[in-house]
Order: sequence, then C-alpha cells, then structure tokens
Amino acid sequence: MNNHRFVKRITATATLARIGRWAAAVSAAACLSGCVTSTVQEVREAATGINAGESIVVLGRQKRPNSGETEIDFIECVENKMGGGSNQIKVIDEEDFRDALFPWFEPRTAPVNTSDLPELMAQPALAERLNELGLRYMVWIDGSTNRTDSAGSMTCSLTTAGAGCFGFLSWENDSSYEASIWDVRSGNAVGKVSSDAIGTSYMPAIVIPVPLIARVQKSACNSLANQLKSFIHNG
Amino acid sequence: MVQALWPGRFTWVLHMASRLKFTCMLIGVLGILEGCAGASVSVPTRFPVPLVQKVPLVVGMHLPDELTNYTFVQDLGQEGEFSIDLGDAQRTMFENLFTGMFNGIELVDDPSLPHEGIAGVLVPHISELQFSTPDQTRSDYFEVWIRYQFQLYSRDGQLLGEWPLTAYGKANTQNFGLSTTEPTLQAAALAACRDAMAFFTLQFRSIPAVQNWLAAELLGGST
Repeated sequence: MNNHRFVKRITATATLARIGRWAAAVSAAACLSGCVTSTVQEVREAATGINAGESIVVLGRQKRPNSGETEIDFIECVENKMGGGSNQIKVIDEEDFRDALFPWFEPRTAPVNTSDLPELMAQPALAERLNELGLRYMVWIDGSTNRTDSAGSMTCSLTTAGAGCFGFLSWENDSSYEASIWDVRSGNAVGKVSSDAIGTSYMPAIVIPVPLIARVQKSACNSLANQLKSFIHNG
Repeated sequence: MVQALWPGRFTWVLHMASRLKFTCMLIGVLGILEGCAGASVSVPTRFPVPLVQKVPLVVGMHLPDELTNYTFVQDLGQEGEFSIDLGDAQRTMFENLFTGMFNGIELVDDPSLPHEGIAGVLVPHISELQFSTPDQTRSDYFEVWIRYQFQLYSRDGQLLGEWPLTAYGKANTQNFGLSTTEPTLQAAALAACRDAMAFFTLQFRSIPAVQNWLAAELLGGST
C-alpha cells in the first residue's frame, strides 16, 4: 500500500515536472517569438469620417524598374484587418479595384499626388464607376519588410542512418510602412499613418530545428490597420 | 510492460525517421531542381476592359498567326530553359482593349483588302521580348519587356502608319511562397501585357498617323 502511494507520488511529481518543463518551454518560446517592438505615428491634415455605404481601397504603390514595392500579403493583411473586427470599414479588394478602373491605377498611370485626382475625376466614366463603388478614401501604402541582420550557423546532414541539424541561427527583420490617405470626395490628402516594427527571430537546432519566429510584418500590419480605422472614424 | 511497449515505439521511431529522411531528400532534390530547371509559363487569358472615352468608330482587328502562336524560348545555361507563351492571351487581350476603346470591333482576315463598315484595321505584332531573372539582376524580381509593333490600315486596305510600343512588367518572388520561379515569371509577363494595354490607351490618340486618320474619319463621318 505504502509502495503504491510512493509510486503515485513519484508519478505525480514527474508529471508536475514535465508540465513545468513544458510551461517553461512554452513561455520561453512565447517570449522569444513575441519579441517585436512596433511604433505607430499619425499626421492629420484634415477631418475624416465615413458614412454607411462608403468604402475604401488599400493600394500598394507599384513602382517602375529597379525599385522595391510593398508585399501583396501585407496589403491583403491590412485589407482584412480593416474590413473586420470592431469599427470595420467596407474595403474594396485591390485587384478588383484595379480591374474595375483599368487602366488608371496601373504602375504607369496611377496618380502619384492628390493633384492628379481632379484630372482623373474629370473623366465621366471614371467618376461614375467610383460613385458606383462608393469609394470615399484611397489608402496608398509604401514600404516593405527587410532582413537587417543575421547571425549564427547551422549544419544539416543527411545520411543513410538519418538526418539532423545542429546549430543556432538568429535574424532581425525590420518593417517600415507608410500609408497616405486621400479623400476622393474632396480630392485632398487627409493624413498619413506610419507603422514601424522590428524583431528578432531565433532557430536553435538539436537534431530538429525549432523556429521561433518574430512576426514583425504581422505586427506592423495590425498596428497600421488599427490606427487607420481609428484615423478614418475619429476625425 | 515497458519491454512490451518499446519494440512498437522503436518501430514507429524508425518508420518516422525513414519518412523524415525521404521528405528531406525530396525537399533537397526539389530545391536543386527549382534552382536550375528554368520555367515554362503561359500568360492567363483574363484581362479587364479599359474604362476610357470610346472613339466613335467601328474598327477591324487582324491578329496574325505569329502573334496568336507567339512563344518566347531562351536557354539561360545553368538557370535552365525558360519558355513564355504569350500567344493564347493575345486574342482576349486585344479584343478587350479594342472593345473598351472603340464603338465596335470586327475580326478581319486580310487588312490589305478594302472593307466595308469599318473605319480602318489595327494589326498588332510582337517584335521582341526580353526578360531578366532575379539571379541576373541580384534582386527579388522577374522583369519582362515586350516590344509591340502596331500597324494601322485604312478602310481601303492602305497602310497608314506603324509605331512601336514597349511594355514592361515585373513581379516579386517574395509574393509567391516557396516555389517562386513559374508563378513570378507568369505574373511579370501578365503585368507586361497589362502595361501594353494601358500604354496603348494613353498613346493611341497622340500617334501622328492615328491623328490624321481620326481627323479624316470623324470629320468625314464615314462610319
């Protein structure tokens, strides 16, 4: 009987220890994967607001040769975040918008400044299509996520006896995006919102690599989308 | 109990190790192939209709066989052979472009013959295609340049003028996950076709031969 209790106590202690190890590992992973610092800044140039039935479009600034451009998944992330959750705003899909207004938002033809808007809006077919879409704001996003630093090394080997990796890698990603908001109705720029995020990812490997990824771009997307919603609603 | 469990677990571990080994080898082989196998892509046939003020004329459109069968092939040595099929997309592309730009279009077999009911005939050709890979430019981008040559024939079948149009498209490999070569090259070629359509709508009315033709047809009120 005593032996049975002793075995039970040992089993319970071992289970607690195992839970403790898992908890420590999970919290370490959460800390390591969550080490992202983000900052958001906003400059307002005019009052904003949006009525029911009005919509916005989020457009990546596409440049001509030899220049970087904003990642498609970042644009989609901002679209999804602004179109969902609290204070959601009706967002027109970027590809649908470019097709509906073709060829006026292609890299060659897209307006660069708000001063280009009156000329565009002077075309009856274009103005009518924009009215049909209920477009109130254009949000132009410029920027990208880049790897700014990396360190460490990892060796992977593949033999008939098996495969495995050993080593440690770390890398730092830096996201920097700026959104310019144009009021289509007034033809003016109403403000800018910028979002910067920086974070370090780690990948230790003892046989199996364990990636602990800092979601830098996602953090920048969340911050930017939330701030844009707030900017448009609370003007 | 332990002795009874272990043989089963050991077999499972061996089985998993074997699967992991196979997966790693597969990934390695695919990685090597991805790096040197080139690509073969066909441009999608979905194009928008331009939203522009229409020229109030019905025009003819002649698409030569060299255009509708156009495939560009280039061997880049260690990078492999690249093939870009543009031909399939040309019919939809020009049908949509001219539908958006004119009151009506008609397909014409021979532009050099006189035609009734149309104000003139437009004939596009591809005279050159170039592309660059991310390895060549040390960037994340595939880039495609297409040089078109357009001819304008009168309703009587006379060549009124011709002009070049250079279109450009690029696409970022970062937007296409793990297997990037084919989808990125395809996206760059599609972007170049869309750029050709956009450039044509902007450029068309400023071509001297077109200006003379429009003046004659619109003032004459022929169609």
